Amino acid sequence: MEHVDELIAAHALHALAPAEERQVEQHVAQCGQCRDRLRELEALAATLAYAAPAASPPPELRDRVMAAIGPVVAAPVAQPRRRSAPGWWPRFSLVAVPALAAAVLALGVWNLSLRGQVTDQGHELAHGRVVALAGVGNALVSPSGVVKLYVRAAPAPSGKTYEAWVIDGGTAYPAGTFASSGTVKLTREASRGDTIAVTVEPAGGSSKPTTTPIAAGKV
Amino acid sequence: MSDKPPHKDVTTEHLSDHGLLALVARGDREAYARLYDTYAEAAFSLALRIVRDRELAADVVQEAFLAVWTKASTFDPARGQPSTWILTMTHHKAVDVVRREERRKADPIDDASEGTDPGRPVEERAWLGVARGQILTALRRLPDPHREVIELAYFAGYSQAELAERLAVPLGTVKSRTFAAMGALRTALSEVGIGTEDEWNTSTN
Repeated sequence: MEHVDELIAAHALHALAPAEERQVEQHVAQCGQCRDRLRELEALAATLAYAAPAASPPPELRDRVMAAIGPVVAAPVAQPRRRSAPGWWPRFSLVAVPALAAAVLALGVWNLSLRGQVTDQGHELAHGRVVALAGVGNALVSPSGVVKLYVRAAPAPSGKTYEAWVIDGGTAYPAGTFASSGTVKLTREASRGDTIAVTVEPAGGSSKPTTTPIAAGKV
Repeated sequence: MSDKPPHKDVTTEHLSDHGLLALVARGDREAYARLYDTYAEAAFSLALRIVRDRELAADVVQEAFLAVWTKASTFDPARGQPSTWILTMTHHKAVDVVRREERRKADPIDDASEGTDPGRPVEERAWLGVARGQILTALRRLPDPHREVIELAYFAGYSQAELAERLAVPLGTVKSRTFAAMGALRTALSEVGIGTEDEWNTSTN
């Protein structure tokens, strides 16, 4: 077997033409000696990474990175989750709220790309749905319709409160009030096709919305 | 309210990177977040040095970490440290971007401005600063032709063919020079007291 030492050094620097890159990869797949050599040279190349001038990643990148892996469904390669998991919410609760808040856009894209796959596998309902409430946070709707809000918003103005609504067939049903960031379980369940909205209401809340929603999203 | 998850998962506290990656392979977001927190700065610094644009660098890091998530179950612990794997993927994606964008720059690596993240613990900053200094020292000790191929390939994304053109030497010369340069780099790094990434970055933090 002809070894590929010279190519391996360049491969570790990602400096080969695609055809040669494939050649090296095919070779190391069957040659332990060259594979070890490549790993060693990759570690050597990775050392160089620390010579780059230190720069802090933008803080929101963490949120993007966490959002990109989706809110609940594990990686496609992951093992099935244990069946005895204590319900559905605890897993969500481990998700950082700011990550969710900043994740809204990414989630949309992620949902679109994942939806076909997820629906096909019948997992979507098993994992609930995420509804983006821009500027307020996210609503997470469990398979049974229980809604939990992950709120990340400034405190409501003095004498006012935030109020959540579940809008079903043109009627807005009050679903609970909250004053600031935190986790809120709504007092009303929501089903597919409903809209979850948030308004600012006089302290104590209203039985019908008195202002235009500051955020709304369809389940 | 705090930016941290409501209850800290103490079970990942003392895990090695290998342990964290094994959890990531099973879909563990906490472990994934810990790996991100540990290597985001190194990955971002590397990506930024290569692509020279903070937004593009952020995209690169996001892509690289997404690959960590999706490929974690295929990671073979025998291949070395997860950190090497993460930085290799980051480098790979950054170079792909710079080739696509045609925005490569060939400044010497130590011309770039210094500065470490002030948010990092003092001893870690100091250590990273020392490590950087030693690596730069090792690079400076290389013969010019060796340093040139390594810097242009690793930090500016030049392919072997592009190097041949830029340096006006035959492709075969570039290949043998690159091979020799990597050998010389290994020697120079051990002379300044630094092994490879694999050897010294076995941290659990």
